[in-house]
Amino acid sequence: MATVIKDIEIQPNIPISVLFEKHANFIKEYGQKENSYEYGMTDYLRVSGMFWGLTALELMNTLPKQSKGEIAEYIKNCQDPESGGISACLQHDPHILHTLSAVQILCIYDNLNAIDLDGVVRYIASLQLSDGSFMGDKWGEVDTRFSFCAVATLALLNKLNAIDVNQAVEFVASCKNFDGGFGSRPLSESHAGLIYCCVGFLSITNRLDVVDRDTLAWWLCERQLPSGGLNGRPEKLPDVCYSWWVLSSLSILGRLHWIDAEALKKFILACQDTETGGFADRPGDVADPFHTLFGIAAMSLLGHESVQKVNPTFCMPQHVIDRLQLKPQMMID
Amino acid sequence: MHGRLKVRTSEEQKALKEKEQQKKLAAYQAGIQKILSGRKKDSYDSECFALSAQLLIANPDIYTLWNYRKEVILIEKEACEENGTEGEEKLIKLLEAELKLTEQSLLANPKSYGSWHHRYWSMMNHPNPNWANEFNLCTKYLNMDDRNFHCWDYRRLLVNKIGISLEDELNFSNDRLNANFSNYSSWHYRSTLRSLDEDSIGYELKLVQNAVFTDPSDTSAWFYLRWVLSNPALTKDRKTELMEALEQLEELEPNCKWIVMAKCWLSGSLALNDKDYVDRRVEFYKRLLELDPTRKGQYLDYLKIAEDKIKQRECDRKF
Repeated sequence: MATVIKDIEIQPNIPISVLFEKHANFIKEYGQKENSYEYGMTDYLRVSGMFWGLTALELMNTLPKQSKGEIAEYIKNCQDPESGGISACLQHDPHILHTLSAVQILCIYDNLNAIDLDGVVRYIASLQLSDGSFMGDKWGEVDTRFSFCAVATLALLNKLNAIDVNQAVEFVASCKNFDGGFGSRPLSESHAGLIYCCVGFLSITNRLDVVDRDTLAWWLCERQLPSGGLNGRPEKLPDVCYSWWVLSSLSILGRLHWIDAEALKKFILACQDTETGGFADRPGDVADPFHTLFGIAAMSLLGHESVQKVNPTFCMPQHVIDRLQLKPQMMID
Repeated sequence: MHGRLKVRTSEEQKALKEKEQQKKLAAYQAGIQKILSGRKKDSYDSECFALSAQLLIANPDIYTLWNYRKEVILIEKEACEENGTEGEEKLIKLLEAELKLTEQSLLANPKSYGSWHHRYWSMMNHPNPNWANEFNLCTKYLNMDDRNFHCWDYRRLLVNKIGISLEDELNFSNDRLNANFSNYSSWHYRSTLRSLDEDSIGYELKLVQNAVFTDPSDTSAWFYLRWVLSNPALTKDRKTELMEALEQLEELEPNCKWIVMAKCWLSGSLALNDKDYVDRRVEFYKRLLELDPTRKGQYLDYLKIAEDKIKQRECDRKF
């Protein structure tokens, strides 16, 4: 009664290099198609979508079609003057996910003063609960993703002191599981995306001592499947976005060498769409900006020399993190 | 886009699809514009309210529309509170409709954060919530997909809210594991129910040992075994017994890396005294290098630690 491993098969005719030009065009065009179905129907995640696309372009040393001013203007219009939070797009509600994305974009273009920064800080601080956790917005959903968003946003603004960091750490620590991983709330199952959020959170707050390094790094490297791809939980299919969540976490833990880098590269290359450009979650699926960023960023962590160096904690170009003089904690032997 | 297969279509099909999509897009944009531009603090338009439900069933990730619906409910809640029993009945009717709506949207997309949160929020605002119904709903969704962590998380919110006895929780966990041994989510859930002590650890070891011995290539139970082995309440006799059982199993399944890995856990810092097993650990890690070259970076790190220990021991002997 042998269990069949859930995985995919890599076809022999996969591209052998990163199709930079195609990906750059894919992203540039994506942001220009106001009337395209795909773009128009996803307005509710626009600012995060901009972060994925613009960061991918920056890592590929390519400028977007929009000017720095146009981008800042769009974000500025998404800021809610009352709460200070930033929404996905005009008329939609502020949310911590888009607030972080907006701040990340403005940091990349060195243009933070385009928005009301005190408003952003006020908004983030207003979302912390007494147990240290963070809500995503005023409607009360709690999740460790939001803990990450809170400290990442504030660290980028050099305003971590606006919240109770110790209590926030305590909450994240309470989400640690039997397998060394982290989930969305206390006692929630470990998931590579949430592990990235929690490890990233602890890296920013300089509290990686909370992590059971060996147990977690083992769980993370067990995500690699025979195809070379990484899944997000045991017995799940591989997906390019986990190349980022797992790899960045292993980087922060100083255990990147625990996976087979060559096999993973091959998997990521296979997820490229050779016609439209862009990366899909798995070979043969539809490409999108989200997976394109994480494919490119993973290539950066794997040392691809044509991609700019990415910071594993913030998922932003390292030169931006250096300019901001941030030094998120990393574990080294 | 997760898991959406790219399909080849003819030019004709493509044009037809594009035309349909343009129609859908125009309807979406007109709809959301109508709802959001007419949003007010103290009143609402029932046509917009109905329209938002349609848009959410098609796409439950439009978070602002859930917020809009919550605002409407709160407007009604305030009005209801002034109207006594009659008001409460109206509010209940409204909230029941929200529960129905989330059930519909969850059927279309069982992994939407927005739908699950809206459901929880509705239950929290319900004057007379039917908790049993919610537990049944969770079981129904877990039967469809027993790895849906949104559903597990929702269930946990309910448990936190109303409380449930450890015995009931253990029974629930047993049911889930009996339905599917190779379900990582169920093993995880089990790990959260209680901390193991000398009384409970024997049963847990037996349970998980049974699972890994039934199908050694099934990975889920091995993670749970590692956790059980890391518990100080485990006696040396039990560890030695397990080591022997693993060696027997290995004879039947000589190429299963998990068995060798479990021997490493048992003989390393997790369980048995390192000193007794240090030579064998070198042999185990060398075997893992052969069986699982994907993770050779990890095994080489541990092999070095084991070999350094031997060198250290020999050094100590000399002096």
